Parts: sequence; C-alpha cells; structure tokens
Amino acid sequence: MMQDISTYCSATYTWGQFTPAFILIGLAAVLIMADTFVKSLPKRAYSLAAGFGALLVACYVYSGEHANAFGMLACLGTALSIFLAFDYTKVCCASIAGGSSEEGTGEFYALPLVACAGIICLTQAVDLIMVFVSLEVVTLTSYVLAGYFRRNQGSVEAGIKYLVLGAMSTGILVFGAAWYFGMSGTFILDSTVVIDTLRGGQVASGTVALGFLMAVALLFVGAFFKVGAAPMHIWIPDVYQGAPTPTTTFLAVASKTAGFALLCTLVTPFRTLAVPGIPVADMLVTAFAIVAAATLLIGNLGALFQTNAKRLLGYSSIGQAGFILIFFVNLDGIFELYSAMYMLAYTLATAAAFYAVAMVRTQRGSEEISAFRGLGKTNPRTAFLITVSFASLAGVPLTFGFIVKMYSFIALISAMQNWACLIWLLPVMIICATAGFYYYFKVIRAMYWEKPQADDKPLCVPFCTGLVLSICTVILILMGSWPLIAGM
Amino acid sequence: MTIPLAHYLIFSGILFSIGLAGVLIRKNILVVFMCLEMMLSAANISLVAFSRAQGTNGIPVYDAQVLSLFIVAIAAAEVSIGLALIVAMFRATRSVDSTSLNTLKD
Repeated sequence: MMQDISTYCSATYTWGQFTPAFILIGLAAVLIMADTFVKSLPKRAYSLAAGFGALLVACYVYSGEHANAFGMLACLGTALSIFLAFDYTKVCCASIAGGSSEEGTGEFYALPLVACAGIICLTQAVDLIMVFVSLEVVTLTSYVLAGYFRRNQGSVEAGIKYLVLGAMSTGILVFGAAWYFGMSGTFILDSTVVIDTLRGGQVASGTVALGFLMAVALLFVGAFFKVGAAPMHIWIPDVYQGAPTPTTTFLAVASKTAGFALLCTLVTPFRTLAVPGIPVADMLVTAFAIVAAATLLIGNLGALFQTNAKRLLGYSSIGQAGFILIFFVNLDGIFELYSAMYMLAYTLATAAAFYAVAMVRTQRGSEEISAFRGLGKTNPRTAFLITVSFASLAGVPLTFGFIVKMYSFIALISAMQNWACLIWLLPVMIICATAGFYYYFKVIRAMYWEKPQADDKPLCVPFCTGLVLSICTVILILMGSWPLIAGM
Repeated sequence: MTIPLAHYLIFSGILFSIGLAGVLIRKNILVVFMCLEMMLSAANISLVAFSRAQGTNGIPVYDAQVLSLFIVAIAAAEVSIGLALIVAMFRATRSVDSTSLNTLKD
C-alpha cells in the first residue's frame, strides 16, 4: 500500500534548533565588523573572544533542549583550533601580511566560527537541501582557511587542491541529491521514503529502484570525501601538510565530525532495512566493509614511512576514520553514539598532537618527526603529555584511545552475528592497529631515545599549549582508566 | 510537443561526465574550474527536469528548483574563492598549471 507523498513532503525545523548556529554567526559577524572598524584592538583579543564563544556554545549545545553530541564535538574542535592560533598570532601575522603587521588577520579567527555554525546545522539536517547548504558553509570556509597563508606556497597549494577535489565531491553529492529527488519525489531522508522508493515508487518499477540506488551511492561518495575514506582520501595528506596548522587542526577534528554527522544522517534511514537477506542491506554492509578495509589499509600502511609529522597525522586521520567506519558496518547498531565517542577520543588526542607539532615547528623550525629529538631530556613534563596523546591515538591500554578502539572491534564482532562473512575484516583491523603502534611510537622514540643536539634549548611552552595538552591528557587517562575505577 | 524527461537526463548525464573527466584529465586550473561548474550545472538541469516531472497538473514541485537556486548561489561563492586562490597561486609560481603544484607530495 503506497503512502501519499504529501504526508512526508515537508521537513520540519524549529528556530530553537538553530540558536547555537545563530549565536556563532552573530559572533563571527561582530568580530569581522570589529576587524574592519576597530583597528586598534589587538588580534589576540579576537582569537580569545572566538575561542571562548565556541566553548560556551559547546556547553549550550551539550546541555540544551536539542542536545547533539556531534554539534558539541564540532564546537570543541573549533575552540581548540582557535586557541592554537592564539598561541601563534605572531606566526600568523608573518605568514599573512608579511612582517609584524596585523592587517587582514582578523578573519582567520572569525571564519572557523562560521564553519562551526554550518556543522551544527548539518548535524540537525533531515533533508538534502539543508545537508547541501550547511555542508557548503563548512567547505567554503575551509577552502579560505586552508589557503589563508597566501605568502606560503604550501598553503596556497593546499587551498587549491582542497578546492578542486572538494568541489568535485560537491558536484557528485548534488548530482546524487538530484536523482534522490527524481526517484523519490522528496528531499527528506526518511526510512519510509527509502523503503517506498526501493520498492519502485508508485509505479513499482525496477528502474526507479536502480536510479535510487545510484543516487544513494553518489550521496555516500560526498560523505566519504568529508570523512576521508578511501577512495576519496587523496586530498588529506597534501592538505593537512600544506594548510596552516590551526586550519589543519580544524579540518582534522571539526570537519571530520561534520563528515560523520553527515554519514549518520544518510545511513539512519537504512537502519530499519538492516536484516540479513534483504539485498539492499547486504549491499550496504558489503560496501561499507570494503570501504572501511581500504581506508584502514591505506591510512595505516601509508603512515608507516612518513617523516613529516603533519603528514603523518594526516595519514593517521585516514586510519582512524577506518576504525570509525567499522561502526557503520554494524548497520543495526547504535553507530551515532559510538562514532561520536570515538570522535571525542580522536579529537582530544589529535588536537594535543597538533599543538605539540606547532610548538616544535615554531621553535625548532622543522615539522619533521626528528625535530622532536630529545624532548624527553629537555622538557620531560611536556614530553610525557605528548607521549600520552600519541599513545592514545595508537590505542595503548589505560588511555581513552584503547577503549574506543575496543568498541570498534566489538562492533565488528556483533556485525558478524548477522553477516558471518565479514570475518575477513578482523585480520585487517588487527594488522592496522599494530601498524598504528609502529608509526605513532616513531614520535615517542624520537623524544626519548634520540639525544638532543648541542644547540637544542628546552622548548618554551606557550600558555594555551600547556593548558590544552594537560587537560587533554588528563581526560584521555581518566576516560581510559574509568572502567578499572568503576569496576572496583 | 513536449521533450520527454529521458532526454534531459541523458543530456545532464553527458554534461556531468564531461565535467568529471575534465576535472580528472585537464592540467590548466582554469579549465578544471570550468569543468567543476559544468558538473554543478548538470545537477541543476536534472533538478529542474525532475521538478517538472514530479509535478502534477503542470505545477512543478518547487523543492528541487529551490535547491537549484542554492546551487547557483553557492557555485558563485565557490568560484570567487577559487579565482582568489588561483591569483595567489599565479603570484607564487608564475603558472596556472596543475603540474606546478608539486611542493606537497610523498
């Protein structure tokens, strides 16, 4: 029995849902206006205002009526990337305006807020128009931010590469949206729409179902680009290495959160179909399993031979995305919750790692892993904090990273109850988790086993870097040892 | 005489394929940009055609046309950012060829 299309034809949004987004956009507008008209204000004030604004909105999103974990994570990631820029305003000025002039650097602190507002809208989207517009708000601002250090060739190159590949994935996503509409007659992402259209719509034709599958595949390609899943991962190492480090942090934590929020929105309508034997469910699970395996292998094996720390973290972010994709292989599980939890562990550890890279880069003049040499001797406390964050990325027991990686394995095992053929994914995951230990420990090895050179002074730890490193480390260890404490 | 839906879809499919191939094959960044715009236009054509086809009694479903308006607006923003980046790139490398983008690689 077909349902009348008009019953699910209009998406319902309330103004209250978008209050956090409005606050962020308002703050960004105020900052850009101030940047234009109040020249005397130092730019560090902007980064402080933007960072604390994002933190407050994170609390609001988390506690408010429309609580959503991905929105909170996005605000947190944005705040962390802005605070990183706060520590290095001098470097930003030198790379943007050349010299010590602060001319034209204000937007660098305001634009992440706009992108964050886009992510909050994206997490609440229930139809493809909202998905498209809010996704573009995020990506357009990211292009600007990636190419912001226009005197630096790497940054411009990262900006162009990101723009070309990003626009291509947008084109694919939009083409998918057009076909989604053409086959189903609505933009709403809803299980009723999906089930009806897969039966062939009102005319029950196989062509409609086939066209709909193509549309869904194109939409997934767009989402895979955002999260950096194979084969749409090509941009990640180049852009992460070339972009300004605050922007790289933003892309690695906030933008990836947006990708997984989008993936959840797209996959949720298919959850009711997640019964073995239904062809669509089998197809989706197989597709996700292949993409997850390819992502895991490319990310983790590609990282093995990297010497540049930012590029290493780029490959690491591909590898970690592979572990998160495993939650989606378990199609009838609660993948929103688990992927948000994994993203929290990943956000804290990755942000801390980027703070460390920025600190080493500005004071030793190199982003290579070898620049971490001897930190264990010269800065023992900082070296310990960096060790914990890299250990959590690798998944060492007693850190948060271990717990979430374990959940990833559990998700695969519970998926195997329905789809036993997925067992081939288990050795892939084990190989990749082991490879992680090798390449994350390259940094730790450089800190403790390599001798500092004669002219290496101890690093001076900027205020925000010290604070963020300590807080992230404490949370990573507390969450990691929580099962032990709670168990006793 | 009305043109059937299939013709629009085939046309937009061809346009999309040409755009995608151009992005992947061409070396000149400006041409790559035109190809990107072509992909978005292809999506617009399908959207407008579908909006008419899904309509009843000659009234199209306006949802699809709203999305195509959004696409036009966002494509314009994207081009302005892209051209700014191309100008910055030309200043740095004196070239608009994608082969000159070679500082970042494994």
